[in-house]
Order: sequence, then C-alpha cells, then structure tokens
Amino acid sequence: MYFSDVGTIALILALGFAVYTVVIAVLGAKRGITALVASAKRSSLTVTFFLLVAASALVVSFLIHDFGVSYVRQESNLAMPWYFILSAFYGGQEGSLLYWALMLSIFSAIFIFTSRRVPQALVPYVVATLMSIEVFFLIILAIVSNPFVRLPVAPPDGQGLNPLLMDPGMLVHPPMLLMGYMSFSVPFAFAVAAMITGKLNSDWLRSIRRWMLAAWSIQTTGLLLGAWWAYHVLGWGGYWGWDPVENAALLPWLTATAFLHSTMVQERRGMLKVWNLALVIASFALSIFGTFEVRSGIISSVHSFAYSAVGPYFLTFLAIIVVFSIGLFLYRLPTLRSEQEFDSVISREGAFLFNNLLLVGVAFATFWGTIFPILSEAVRRQTMTVGPPFYDHVNGPLFVLLLLAMGVGPLLAWRRTSTSVLWRNLVVPAVAAAACAIVLPLLGVSNVWANIAFAVCSFTVTAIIYEFWRGMRVRHDHGESYFLAFNMLIVRYRRRYGGYLVHLGLVLLAVGVIGSNFFQVERDAVLKPGQTLNVAGYQLTYLGNIAYATPGVDAVTAQLQIWQDGRLLRYIYPGRQFYRNFENQPTSQISISTFGLTDVYVFLADWQGAASATIRVFINPLTSLVWLGGLLMLVGGIICWWPERRSRLRMPAKETYAKGTALANKGHGDRSVEAGVGQRREGTLVASCLGDRDPAWEAGNARVGVTERNDLASYGQDTGASEEPTL
Amino acid sequence: MKQKRPLFLILALVAVIGAIWSFMILSAARNATLDQRVQDVASQLKCPICQGESVADSPSQLAQQMRGVIRQQLQSGRSDQQVIQYFVDRYGQQIVWSPPWQGFMLLAWLVPIALLLGGVGMIIIVMRDWHAAPRVETNDDDADLAGIDENELQHYRGQIEKELAESDPIFTPRRMEAH
Repeated sequence: MYFSDVGTIALILALGFAVYTVVIAVLGAKRGITALVASAKRSSLTVTFFLLVAASALVVSFLIHDFGVSYVRQESNLAMPWYFILSAFYGGQEGSLLYWALMLSIFSAIFIFTSRRVPQALVPYVVATLMSIEVFFLIILAIVSNPFVRLPVAPPDGQGLNPLLMDPGMLVHPPMLLMGYMSFSVPFAFAVAAMITGKLNSDWLRSIRRWMLAAWSIQTTGLLLGAWWAYHVLGWGGYWGWDPVENAALLPWLTATAFLHSTMVQERRGMLKVWNLALVIASFALSIFGTFEVRSGIISSVHSFAYSAVGPYFLTFLAIIVVFSIGLFLYRLPTLRSEQEFDSVISREGAFLFNNLLLVGVAFATFWGTIFPILSEAVRRQTMTVGPPFYDHVNGPLFVLLLLAMGVGPLLAWRRTSTSVLWRNLVVPAVAAAACAIVLPLLGVSNVWANIAFAVCSFTVTAIIYEFWRGMRVRHDHGESYFLAFNMLIVRYRRRYGGYLVHLGLVLLAVGVIGSNFFQVERDAVLKPGQTLNVAGYQLTYLGNIAYATPGVDAVTAQLQIWQDGRLLRYIYPGRQFYRNFENQPTSQISISTFGLTDVYVFLADWQGAASATIRVFINPLTSLVWLGGLLMLVGGIICWWPERRSRLRMPAKETYAKGTALANKGHGDRSVEAGVGQRREGTLVASCLGDRDPAWEAGNARVGVTERNDLASYGQDTGASEEPTL
Repeated sequence: MKQKRPLFLILALVAVIGAIWSFMILSAARNATLDQRVQDVASQLKCPICQGESVADSPSQLAQQMRGVIRQQLQSGRSDQQVIQYFVDRYGQQIVWSPPWQGFMLLAWLVPIALLLGGVGMIIIVMRDWHAAPRVETNDDDADLAGIDENELQHYRGQIEKELAESDPIFTPRRMEAH
C-alpha cells in the first residue's frame, strides 16, 4: 500500500460524497426536509476531508520521492529544494486540478460554516451547485487526469519541474490564480440558487457581494503576482503582454469588477437585477474558459507548460454551464423586474451603467482578440495572430475613459445631480488635468497619447483626494484631528472610502503602465571588459563573466557596474541558468535595480567565454508604481471586504424607518439632514434595513437619494456644520 | 451668473487642454526619429521563432537581424506599411501582431466596436424605458408628511438623530440643546 493508493481511494470517496451531497441537498430543499439539508452540509464537509487526505497523500509522495507515481516522477527530482518540490504539487495538470478541487471544497466548507447569515432557502442550492462543480473536477481527477497513477517500475530519479517554474514566483502566483479562478464558483452558486428559488433580495445581494469581493481580491493578487513574475523572469522588459492566458485571467476579473459596481445600483435602487446575474454567470463561465484555454493548448502562449486531453471535457462542462444558466435565467426573467425607475443620465446610476459598458467592452474586445485566431483558422483557414498592438488600440482608449469615469462617478449623486454642483466639484480636478497637460510638454513629454493619459490620471487622482479631503475637513471641523478624521472615514464608511483606495491604486498602476509603455528605453550591445554602454543617463560598465555550478544547476553571470553622473550606484549580475534535464531551456536571472521610480532592467542575452556578453538594457520609468498601485488596490479591496462589526447589524423598529425616512425627505431642501442620512445609509441603515424589505422603507430609501450630494462632504461644505437645526 | 462661473471655468480649461493636445498631434507626425520608427514597425511584427514576443522585444538572433532589415529598409525611404508588407510576403499574415484593416480580418476590429456602439444604444433605450415607466411614488414630500402628527414627527426626528449619533459620533447633535 503506497500513499498514492490512499490518494486514489480518497478521491473516489470524495466523488461519492459529492454526488450524494448534490442529490440530498436538492431533495431536502424541494421536499423541505431540514434533516436532509443538514446531512448534505455534513457530507460536503466530508468531501473537504477526503480531498485534504488526497492532497496530503500527494504531498507525502512528493516529499518521500516516490517516483513510482508518474506525476511525482514528472514534476520533481532529487536535486530540487523542498519548497519547489512542494510547489510541484500544482506544477502540472493533474496536481493543479487537484488543487482546484481542494480549494473549492475548502471554500464550500467556509460557506457552510458561515451560512447562518445567508437566507436559509438558498443554502441547499448553493451547496448543491458547489458540489456539482466539485463532481466535475473529481470525475476528471479520477478518470482522465489522476495524479496518483503509478508506473510499473519506479525510476531512481524524476525529471523535475520545468526550469521556468523554478522561481520564487512559482510559490505564490499559480496557487493564487488557480484559487482566483476557483473562487468565482461561490458567487455563481449563489446566482444559481437565487434563480432556482427566486429569492434575489438584498440578503442575497449582501452575501454574494462579499464573496465576489473576495474572489476579486484573490484574482487581483493572482494577476499582479503573474505580472511581477513575468517581469522578473521572461526578460523582455515588460510585465503584461496580452498573452492569451493572461487575457483569460483578466476576463473574469473585468466582469467581476463590473458586477461589484452595478451591484450597488441594485442595492440602492433595485435595478439591473438581470444584468447582475448575467455578470456573475459570465465571470464563472470565463474562469472555466480560462482553465480550459490553458489546459487545452488551443492557443499558443508563454504558458504552454501542460497540454492534454482534458480540453474536450472542459469544453463540455463549459457548454453545460452556459446552457443550464441561460435556461434558468430565461425561466426567471419574468420575475426580475426593476423596482425603481431611472431619473436622469447624469446620476450615479448613469455613471455605473457607463462603467459597466466600458468594463464589459474591454472584456469582450479581449475575449474576441483571444479567440479570433481560432475563428480565422476555422472559417478562412488563415493563420493569424492578434497581439499587443490590437489590444493597445482597442482597450487603451477604453481604459482611459474608465479612468475618467472613476474621477467623475463619485461626484454624482444617486437619481439625479444638479449640474451646477457638478461643475463646481469638477473645477479642482479639471485644473489639475490642465496643469498636467501644460506642464508635461514643457518637461519634454512629446507623446500626445501619454499626455492625454497622464492628464486623465491627474484629474482622477485629484478628484479622489479631493473627496477624502472634504470628508476629512468636515470631521476636522467637528474636532477630530486630520489624521484621526482620515482613519475614521475609512473605518466608518469602509465600502465608500475603501473603494476610493482601490481607485487610487488603479490610477497609480495606470501611471506606471503609461510610463513603462511610452517611455521605456531599450539598448542592445555586445560588450568587452571595460566597455561602457550609455542608456538614458545611466552608464553600464561591463567587467566580465563568472561561471559557477550548484547541484543540478550550471550558471553563468555577467558582472557590470551601474554609474550615474560619475557615481558608482551598484554592481549587478545578470545571468543565465541551466538546469539538469533541461539544458536547452536556460532560464534568465534578470537584474532589476530600482532607483527612485525608475527600473534599470538588465538581461544577459548571450555570452562568449569569460570576456564577451550581449546584454539588453531596459530603462523602465515609473514601473514601481505598478506594484505600489496594485498593493494599494488590494488594501482597498480588503477594507471593502472586511466585515462590519456585528453589533452594528441590529434590527431597529421597522416603522421608525418607514416614517423616519419620509421625514428625511422632508428635509430635502435642507442638505444637512440628508447628508447625514445618506451617509449613514452606508453603515447601519443599509445593513439593518435591507435585511427586511419593508416597501415603505424602500420607497423612502429611494427618495433619500434626492439630493445634490448625499454625502458627508456636502454636509459640511454646503451648510456649514453649525446649521443642523431642522431636526 | 455666479452659478455659471464654474461651468465657464471648466469650459475654458477644456479648451486649453484641447488646444495643447491638437497642437501635439499635429506636430508629432513630423518629428518621429528613425529609432522610433524602427521600434514602431518592429513592435507590430511577431517574432516567428518565439513564444508571444514581438520583434522589438525578442532577444533572439533572428529578431535582431529583422530589426536590422527594418532599419535598412526605412533608411532607403520605404514607408512603415511597405516594410510590414515585405515581411508579410515572406512569413505570411501571422507575422503581423494586429489584424489588417481589410477582408475577413476587419471583423476582428469591427465586432468589438460595433458591440460597444450597440451597448451605448442599449443603454439609451433601457434608460428611456426606465424613464417612461409609470411613477409609483410622487416627489411631493409635504404630502408624505401630511398625515403625520407633529408630536410623532418630533419623536422620529429624535430617533434619527440618536441612531445617526450611534453609528458615527460626529453626528452627535451638539446644537440640540438650543432647541
């Protein structure tokens, strides 16, 4: 009995329990038998247990070097350090599918443990949907792509991981991205459950929103880590190449981002229900499409590590998901009526619609560009490629518009905005944009597209900072220090100001992207010892090559000095490494030195003996901002996601709100009252009242929005803190 | 008039920005250097022996030679398009990164653009639809409050104040004593 046998048995048991869970959960929900639903929950946890056993069996097989297991032989060898052996778990297809299944079962368990807060009617269907997805993966794992298949004779040593994967990035990027793909299953399960039960109310919305936010944050992390890895490993001086697999990972992120915005319209105004459901379904379908694309190898990509026969299975699964969802969707369509009417294009709703159009537009263009070569091949038998220039031309302008919308959107009120207030709020950001547009050409930025993009960024950054400033000033006037006021804004109104932080991060990231896209300087040179290459104000002096060997790896590095203005900044050692078994696939050791916001990126392209090297140097200005902005986006995302304190979720007297909000409307000429109420709805009011859909409250709720600027800022600015009298 | 001042200011700023950008666009075409043009053409071509890298980005020997050819041809006075065509004749259509604006390949560009425009149309129709929907409620606020007793009103006001203050201390009604 080997550990791998334990793994196989655990997989089959997990499959059995997953099937049982689906059947029993649906049965329990249909017949209304709570005992069955409880059994389904427990059996779902059993699936988690057996997948943990299977995963442990694989980990142990790796650690004890059981090369009798085909997958272990393929992905590891004796020379690999233990951390790469552990990461070999998801290095190939079988393991990454097992990882997917394991993570899905863990997320299902988390869902079950937190399901008390979810509307109970939804729970069995969510569990059933999650386990149906699990069944698909377990069937693949058990039949087509089993990581525990044994070889007739165990070889003495394994082949080892692809050297491109032997990088610290391997330890973090694939698990994050796979988890990101997987995590879209939970919102999808919520969508299916809501469509089956017809319960698309605010409780549903609150639960799905947080799961989607979690998925979004994980996917953001995965994408950023991927970009960072590409930057450090691939040697072409960039971090994003519109590669088909990168695109596939971006697609669900885009639709999820669209969902997180349009869901606010549903929350506040009861509109866009159909659209939101479509976005959830699309996100999940796209994440399966992404997995399919990587695994099937139908499109050539830098990620071509693992091709195999599972492609058709994924395609079938994708087709089932799409047909099933559309069927349910059409069945529910008649009941998905909007509860409110639209008032004005110039309103927060209008801004969100525009934002959704742009995000979905980018998603579609990216999807289209990714699959167009396949279409072309199929229809016209004409091979072709769609590469970065296509995406730059189509998506670039859309992204700039999105950035602009990020600046204008928060300045708009729900329902309708008085244009005079809007103009007044736009003055400061517009001045910043104009200043940027005037100053940059004087500083020598002659590219008009870069100028446009920078001006838009400066507009949006100013608009966001201005929002923070106004909120802080009101609190400051009430006696809080600016620092405390800033913290309190974020603590009290997490979703609003957390969202602004995400926006701020995205703008920083955009500045980094613009900088490295338009102002990258690149030089190639063949250098002899003592020769100096001059690039964009930096001098690189080549000294010679050093060759060395560690077990399993032969390496060569060039030694260079970086000088600037006659000062030696540092020594750098760009190099190449040759791994045993993969001698024809040398990996690069790229030297990246960051000075301020500028990266000096040096890649050893070729060398002869000890005294000649061909190097490529990229000067990448502002690239650090990409990582900084990405980090800020994550922080903002986590702030948005962080749970409200439970004590704030109390249920107040219903009628107080029915009449109380009507009263708030009374003050609608008087902004101070509404400002308070509007702001407050971000916290307790929404949390407490959305749980209970009192129609009168809903009507009041909608009407509270009738304000020019229903936020704290206008509260202070327009009325002055002392005029709080009507109440 | 005072109300309109911000609008005029913004229009003036937009005009200034627009003027700068149009000037930059007009002057940009003239002073592209040879290096920029080589980079430009090379980044539109896919390196035939690499995985997903352009001729501009790839460190391979072939890409280096191709960059040399591009430079030579541009120096001899050919246009960017002619140089790209030169490579298409030799390597086939798949060497070009972005689909050309003709024939079947035009679909690659037109479909996303058409869908985007369609989306704008959709939004306009949907908005009009929503707008035309019968109004369930009126905006007459005094009508809403007409049936409420003055004492009751006072009670609710107090309630809102209290809960506001509970959620966020800065809403503590410091001025209420004056009442």
